[in-house]
Amino acid sequence: MPYTNEDYLPSYEELTVPELEISSAAFRTAAHHLGKYCDNTCKEFILCRTEENDPRKCLNEGKEVTRCAYEFLGKIKKSCYAEFTQYMDCIDHSGLSMEFKNCRKTQAVFDACVKENLGQDRPELGYFTKVRLHKTERPKAVPDPHILPERLPEPPKFENKTTDPMKGPRWF
Amino acid sequence: MVTYKQDMPPEGGFNPYEWAARKPKRLFGGYTQFALFAGFTSIAWIFYFRWRNTKKLNELEMRESRVAIEPFLLAERDRAILKHYRKNRDEENELMKNVEGWKTGTLWGEPVFYNPRNRYVKPALEELLAHMSYREQEDFKYDKRKRF
Repeated sequence: MPYTNEDYLPSYEELTVPELEISSAAFRTAAHHLGKYCDNTCKEFILCRTEENDPRKCLNEGKEVTRCAYEFLGKIKKSCYAEFTQYMDCIDHSGLSMEFKNCRKTQAVFDACVKENLGQDRPELGYFTKVRLHKTERPKAVPDPHILPERLPEPPKFENKTTDPMKGPRWF
Repeated sequence: MVTYKQDMPPEGGFNPYEWAARKPKRLFGGYTQFALFAGFTSIAWIFYFRWRNTKKLNELEMRESRVAIEPFLLAERDRAILKHYRKNRDEENELMKNVEGWKTGTLWGEPVFYNPRNRYVKPALEELLAHMSYREQEDFKYDKRKRF
């Protein structure tokens, strides 16, 4: 490993949080609503990851993201469990890549339930792929200064030493 | 004496022999054919573009669902990989504790990377796999497969 004992690596306690133990079908089913519910948190986390380019510095943001998803899925489980399961069954058996296009009816039922209980619309098409500005309190990440080795001494001045080529020996 | 009867042409002679090429009769004239072509192609274009638009929107929806869940997967993966780094470092400490002059994370004191800015470094894959069995390595590199 390139990590020495002095390098910072977070401990197991810091890294252990309740993870989202759900299948890919559940993720695909919840994706749009989940992304909208945790929009700001996700943006904050991704901003941190791209700015710092270091997972060690974005642990708190990452935990916040997972906690938000946990909260959302808990709410869904409490209020829309049957609708969610029905939609997920459809998604799970919808082609090799779990497409949405075969499941519009169950999707409508699920959306109506989410609208009723969480008060959240399904984000319009193109919401996640368009450029969205994010306002943040986060200070700009400044990398450590790059300390270069000391500058080499200047080369000696050659102007005084060179002779005029026109005044050199001319017998060649 | 002739006992047989000679075959003769039918009365009035044979039918006239058709020697000229027969052209098939055209169903449509030239203008009608052009009109049919243009009409059929236009309708096909309409259907094609409608199909293409639907397909694009469906693909956009799929892409969006992947974009939306990326932070959740990334957060989980970050924690997992950091745990793995720590596990490997502990393992190396344990393994090399009796070797004199060995410093964990370096080669006899020489660091692996030139890293004066203290940036995050990604270890090579071999370093992540170093303390694993062959089967665990396979599970790490590829999706974990079901074994029978």
